[in-house]
Amino acid sequence: MVGNGTLLSVENVSTHFFSEEGVTRAVQDVSFSIQKGKTFALVGESGCGKSVTALSIMRLVPAPGGKIVGGQIVFEGENLSALSEKQMRDVRGNKIAMIFQEPMTSLNPVYTVGNQIVEAIRLHQKKSTGRAWADAAEMLRKVGIADPDRRVREYPHQMSGGMRQRVMIAMAVSCEPTLLIADEPTTALDVTIQAQILDLLDELQKQNGMSILLITHDLGVVAERADDVAVMYASRIAEVADSRPLFAEPLHPYTQGLLKSLPRLGLSDKRLRTIPGTVPEPLHFPGGCKFHPRCPIGFDDKRCQTIEPELREVRPGRRVGCWYAPGYETKEEFKEYESKYGEHKSVPAEC
Amino acid sequence: MTTYIIRRLLYTIPIVFGVLLLTFVLFTLVGGDISIEIAGKNATPDTIAEIRAEYGLDKPLFLSWDSQFINHFKNAFTFDFGRARDRELVVDKIKRGVGPSLALTVPMFFGVIIISVSLALVIAFVQGSMWDVLAVFICVAGMSIPYLSFILFGQYFLAYKLGLFPVFFSPDLPTAQYVALPVLIGIVSGLGGNLRFYRTVMLDEMRSDYVRTAFAKGLSTRRVLFKHVLKNAMIPIITRVVLAIPFLFLGSLLLERFFGIPGLGYLMIEAIGSRDYFVINAMTYISAILFVVFNVITDICYGLVDPRVSFE
Amino acid sequence: MGWWTRGSHLSEHRKILKTEQPKGRSLWKDGVRRLRRRKLAMVCLAVVVLYFLLAGFLYLAELFDWQVGPIRWQQEVGKSYQPPSRENIFGTDIFGQSVLRKTLYGAKISMTVALCASFISLAIGVPLGAIAGYSRGVVDEIIVWVYSTLSSIPYILLILAFAVVLRDKTLFGYKLTGITSVYLAIGLTSWVGICRLIRGEVIKHKNREYVLAAKSYGSSGRRIIFKHLMPNVFHLVIIDFSLRFVAFIHAEVILSFLGLGEATRPSWGAMINDARIELSRGVWWQMAAATVAIFFISLALNIFGDALRDSLDPKLRIQ
Repeated sequence: MVGNGTLLSVENVSTHFFSEEGVTRAVQDVSFSIQKGKTFALVGESGCGKSVTALSIMRLVPAPGGKIVGGQIVFEGENLSALSEKQMRDVRGNKIAMIFQEPMTSLNPVYTVGNQIVEAIRLHQKKSTGRAWADAAEMLRKVGIADPDRRVREYPHQMSGGMRQRVMIAMAVSCEPTLLIADEPTTALDVTIQAQILDLLDELQKQNGMSILLITHDLGVVAERADDVAVMYASRIAEVADSRPLFAEPLHPYTQGLLKSLPRLGLSDKRLRTIPGTVPEPLHFPGGCKFHPRCPIGFDDKRCQTIEPELREVRPGRRVGCWYAPGYETKEEFKEYESKYGEHKSVPAEC
Repeated sequence: MTTYIIRRLLYTIPIVFGVLLLTFVLFTLVGGDISIEIAGKNATPDTIAEIRAEYGLDKPLFLSWDSQFINHFKNAFTFDFGRARDRELVVDKIKRGVGPSLALTVPMFFGVIIISVSLALVIAFVQGSMWDVLAVFICVAGMSIPYLSFILFGQYFLAYKLGLFPVFFSPDLPTAQYVALPVLIGIVSGLGGNLRFYRTVMLDEMRSDYVRTAFAKGLSTRRVLFKHVLKNAMIPIITRVVLAIPFLFLGSLLLERFFGIPGLGYLMIEAIGSRDYFVINAMTYISAILFVVFNVITDICYGLVDPRVSFE
Repeated sequence: MGWWTRGSHLSEHRKILKTEQPKGRSLWKDGVRRLRRRKLAMVCLAVVVLYFLLAGFLYLAELFDWQVGPIRWQQEVGKSYQPPSRENIFGTDIFGQSVLRKTLYGAKISMTVALCASFISLAIGVPLGAIAGYSRGVVDEIIVWVYSTLSSIPYILLILAFAVVLRDKTLFGYKLTGITSVYLAIGLTSWVGICRLIRGEVIKHKNREYVLAAKSYGSSGRRIIFKHLMPNVFHLVIIDFSLRFVAFIHAEVILSFLGLGEATRPSWGAMINDARIELSRGVWWQMAAATVAIFFISLALNIFGDALRDSLDPKLRIQ
């Protein structure tokens, strides 16, 4: 999947947290790549490790206890893991920028909005203070804030949630990064504002040609905005595909369950469908496939209970990690299963 | 802003009233009539009556315009504290004691703050490392050693044994000399608790979301600490620092006692020993006033540092 | 679609849920579990328990007149001012009494005082805080006024003032001995902190959904406070208790040192007071013994209190 249009390639990255409670394997063996100018969505429920993955790319994993223990991250041909801290600081905010979920607490309350944007500008570009402030006001205008010259001297608490998120975006794109990581940028906002913010991101993407790594748990957003999708579950990637094919034909039971649980008009089911059980605790991950306890096919399957399926490309552009995904199993594995456990489960026809 | 200040000062009135009420209850009601004690063992009933009249103890407690209760409040507002047990005017005693006390507590105050805040910044920098753990342990250990032992040990070892400092106050010594050792002891013993507090404040701020954003922008740890964290940390730090100022006037009770420094703390200890309610009463009242005034000042400083606070 | 066949998801659920069920854990069990893992905290807890056991044992010994070592602290075990030796591990004081015995006895005094003072301040502070936080209005204003007043007077000053006044007074026909006045003084002045804390928490929790829910099915105010609010703020009480205990021990030491405490029986503060004169004669062991004794209990309580606070902090939980 790594071609010329590849901007960022995450290869077998694992990030663990070490504490007195034990080791929390937040991210295990995660691989995906982001193409230039495209939007890549990383989907999953709370706690599946998507935020930690994003922080790992920025090498901002929380210091006491957190550490990237394996894999590498290649950005614009350069191995980020090999850079010194000083070199990494030149990348952060400059070539790769990140915006976070809570705009209220993510901005420093005791400095003006303009001050914080100017800080980013002057850090990476050689501009005078005057120019930087002018640029900051211009950025505010670009992200759709009215009366930017006045707003630029205001404090975060004087603004609404949506405006603060726009400020965050302004700060992030002020140095024209090639990759913008957006960690649940709209989760804390009203529904009407959500659409505006996402439109703004689309707009900026078209203008600057930057790629976006969109982290979210909202499948609706993914369907509308993403070009490529990776579904994460319990620290691992379950499935990677282009957006349309994923929604048309999800291959992993988890993805299928997620899509099935979306309420839809017109269906005659009286109950909302859910995936039974709950997301496992990182300190007590189940053995074998992490999803097996909740999976209709894997919960009583001996192989799913003991051997973790790795990600495999079952079709061009589609990778899955499930023993029973069509095209996954090799003939040898099929035979091995039958000799070990007996009758193989049948792969059902599509619904 | 002026309306805010006025409003806050108005609110201090019930507090001061409360303090006066408390001192009245403690020293007049519960403490009782001490004219007998003042008069001494072989006093005649006449002497006792004289003393009672002089100290106003023969007046009715509550129910008249000239009652002890009313006089208590009247005297407080006019800062008329009467005479101490030894017949000297309380006000004079206090005036004498302020100088030495401040000479002791002001250097201690600044010393502790400057060292603690600087060290706290350094520790926030090396957060999580061995130095951090060591620093915490030293702080906790320092907080666990009784203050008395610090003083005794310092006095015995550094002054008596090693002769680096004078052991005791004497009027012909220059201020700097007799204050040096007590200040040193005060700073060392006070570092533990303060450093721990400032460290916690710094680390709490380090965990904030805006610090994460600052790092994501590519700022170095030094920049993040000095620009972002420090200003936010100032808010609880200022609160604590400004509120410590009223205590400066009280002097350090124990240090003064040990080193014989004739400040307000020494005055207090003597008053405790001789059950001199008048002195204790006056000191309590003054401390309370200083405290509530500085509370208001703290709020104002707070508002100056934190743009979220409005004086509405 | 795919594996999730139509219409059968209920039976699927039942099948699946039988295999694995995550267990819920209360804050307490979780906290205790995390606490147990910290070896250092457990050691400190052991030290604290040791001190308590010693104090309790001595208390009983006095009550039932068991003639054990520390009780017989008055006995002359050697010549006066003997340095530490094999017979007397901590040496002797001016009267030839064993410093070791005095130190052990001092534990009883300190622990008793701190315990009594804790009970008094909790007995006053917790209910007042809960009532203030829950009722708001006039009752709240009054309680806040009371504790604001108390807290405007510097702590040491306040305790000294109380101790001086209460000494040798009779309260309801019961004469206040030195030590009683000490823990009354400490207890009556130290409830402010916990009161504020509880009040703040109750105010925070008062508007949470579970309280509104309880109100909606008709729970009375008192029931809400005790059954619903208290368990949620109780962990703060425990943490405050463990950290304040140290302060009480130190306060007692200072009061005893100033002569306001127990005059006739040995206490750590009195021992340090003796040391003022003794040091110039080169007699260091009384002060050392008292300091060491105070140091270890304070250190243990500080470390344990911190560990307790970290373990019970809901923000640091796994889930």
